[in-house]
Amino acid sequence: MARLRLPVLLALVGLVTMTPFAVMVLVAFAPPGGRTLPGAFDLTRATWENFSAVLSGADITRWAANSLVYSLVSVVLILLFSSMAGYAFAKKRFPGREVLFWSFLATLMVPFQATLVPYFVLVSRLGGVDTYWGLIVPTLANSQAVFLMRQFIAQLPDELFEAARIDGASEWRIYTTVVVPLITPVLATLGVFVFLWHWNDFLWPLVIGQSSRMHTLTVGLATLEGENVAVNQIMAGATITVLPCLLVFGLLQRYLTDSIATTGLKN
Amino acid sequence: MTAGTAGERTAPTPEPVAVPGPARPAGRPPRPVRRREARVGLLFVAPMLLLFTVFRFGPTIGAAFLSLTDYRLSGDWRFIGVENYARLLDDDLFWSSLGVTALYTLFFVPLTVGLSLGTALLLHRTLWLRGFFRGVFFLPYVTSIVLAAVIWKWIYDVEDGLLNAALGVLSLGPVDFLGDERLVLPAIAATSAWKGFGYSMLILLAGLQSIPREVSEAAVIDGATGWRRLRWVTLPLLRPVLFFVLVVEAIGAFQVFDAMYVMTAGGPVRASYSLVYLLYDTGFKFFDFGYASALGLVLFLVVLVFSLIQRRLIGRDD
Repeated sequence: MARLRLPVLLALVGLVTMTPFAVMVLVAFAPPGGRTLPGAFDLTRATWENFSAVLSGADITRWAANSLVYSLVSVVLILLFSSMAGYAFAKKRFPGREVLFWSFLATLMVPFQATLVPYFVLVSRLGGVDTYWGLIVPTLANSQAVFLMRQFIAQLPDELFEAARIDGASEWRIYTTVVVPLITPVLATLGVFVFLWHWNDFLWPLVIGQSSRMHTLTVGLATLEGENVAVNQIMAGATITVLPCLLVFGLLQRYLTDSIATTGLKN
Repeated sequence: MTAGTAGERTAPTPEPVAVPGPARPAGRPPRPVRRREARVGLLFVAPMLLLFTVFRFGPTIGAAFLSLTDYRLSGDWRFIGVENYARLLDDDLFWSSLGVTALYTLFFVPLTVGLSLGTALLLHRTLWLRGFFRGVFFLPYVTSIVLAAVIWKWIYDVEDGLLNAALGVLSLGPVDFLGDERLVLPAIAATSAWKGFGYSMLILLAGLQSIPREVSEAAVIDGATGWRRLRWVTLPLLRPVLFFVLVVEAIGAFQVFDAMYVMTAGGPVRASYSLVYLLYDTGFKFFDFGYASALGLVLFLVVLVFSLIQRRLIGRDD
C-alpha cells in the first residue's frame, strides 16, 4: 500500500503540471469558436486554422524574429565577454581585481525593476528606444555569467596556460585555443540559460520596444491578450512562443536540471 | 595567495624597498611580467567593465539621484530633495500596492516552497521514473510567466475555463477567480507557483541528496518513521537549503508584475496592483520618472532586508 502511494502521488502532480500545456495545445487546434471544453477536446476536428489566422493577422513572425535576434545575439556576446572577464578574474593579477569582481556581483542585490527608470532614461537619451541595440546591449552586463565563468576557469590547472605561454602563444591565442575549448561544457550550459532568460524576458522588451515592429514574442503575446483576439488564436500564439523552450528543454533536460542543482542558476 | 593579493593592491606603484631578485617570494613573477599580466587582465575585463559601468553602476546611482528630482519625460528637472519620499508616505496607492505585494508574497512563498519541498521529497524517496518526473515538474520553469499567465487566464475563465468546467461537473460554481478581490491574489500566486516551483524543487532535491545516508539510516534503526524522521532528521539538516529557497522565492514574489499585467491589469479594483505595477505605471504611463525612482528604491530596500536576513541566518553569502 505504502509502496503504491508514492507513484500515484507523483503521477497526480505530474498530471497537474502538464494539464495547462495540454489545454493550450487542444484549444489552439480546436476549430475557431471551439473554446469550451467538449469542443476543444474533440481531436477529430483538430485544425491548423488558428495558427494560420494568428500568423497572418498579427506581426507574429516579426516578433519571433525579434525574439530570436534578442536571444541569440545576447547569448553570443554574453558568452564571449563573460568568459573573457572570467579568465582575467580567475587567472590574472591586476589592480582592483577583487574590488571589481565583488562590485559586479553586488549588482545582483539591486533588482532590475528598481533601476528600470534610469535605465530607460539612459537608453532613450542614447537613442536606443525601438532599436535592437537598445534592446540587447543593456542586458549584457550579467553578473551570474561572470561569476560562473570565474569559478569554472579558476579550477583549470595553471600549468596549461604556462605551457602555452612558453610556446610563445599570445594571450588572445591562449584564450581561444586553451581556455575556450576547456570551458565548452559550461559555455553550453550558460548559453542555454541565457537563451531561455532572454526568450522569456518581458519587462525590458516591453518598455524599450514601443512599436509593434519591435515587440518580442512575449510582449506580442501580451498585447494579443489585451486586444480582442479569439482565445483559440491566442493559444496558437502561445504554442508558437513556447516551442523553442520545449525544444531546448527536450534536448537538454538532464543538463539543465543538473546545472541548476549544482550552481543554482536563476535569473 | 596572500603574497599575491598584497602585491596586487600596490601593484601600480613601485614597491618602496627594492627587493633583490633572489629574495623575491617564490612564485611571484618579475615585475615587467606582472605589469604585462595586469594589462592583459584589464583588457580581458574591459568589455564587461564598460557594460557594468554604463548599464549597472550608472543606473543604480542614477536611480538614487533621480528619486531626489522631479525628472519628467521632457528632460526638465529640479532637485526637490526628499519630496518624493514624503509623497510616498501620503500616497494611498503606494500603501495599497505595498499591501497587495506583501499579501501576494504570503500566498506565493508557502505555496511554492510547499510544492517544491513536497515534490522534492517524493522524488527523493522513489526511484520509479525519477528522471522523467523531474523533467515533468521542471518543464513549466523553462517557459515564460507571460505564457503561464495567458494559459491560466483561460483556465480561470468564468464562462468556459477549465476550472469552472471541473467545478460544474461537481455542481459547484461558477467562480470568478480573477474577478473576485479575495481570490485574485491566490489565483495569480498559484499560476506563478506552477510556473516556478521546479527551480526550488531541484535545489531542495540536491540538498536532500547531500544529506549523509548514515544519518537517515541511524534514524530508521532508532525506530523513527515517516513524519518523525522528516520532522526531526531531514528538515533540520535541510534547513540552510530550505532557507535559501525561501528567501529567493520571497525576493522574486516581491517583484511580481508580469502575471498581473497580463491576467488582471491590476484589477479588480486594484486588488492585484503590485508595487512594481505602480512603478511601471508611474514611469511609463505617467512618465513621472522621479517618483517612479523613489518607488524603485523602496523595492531595493525590501530586497536588501530579505538578503540581510538570509545572510544573518545562513551565515554565508549566496
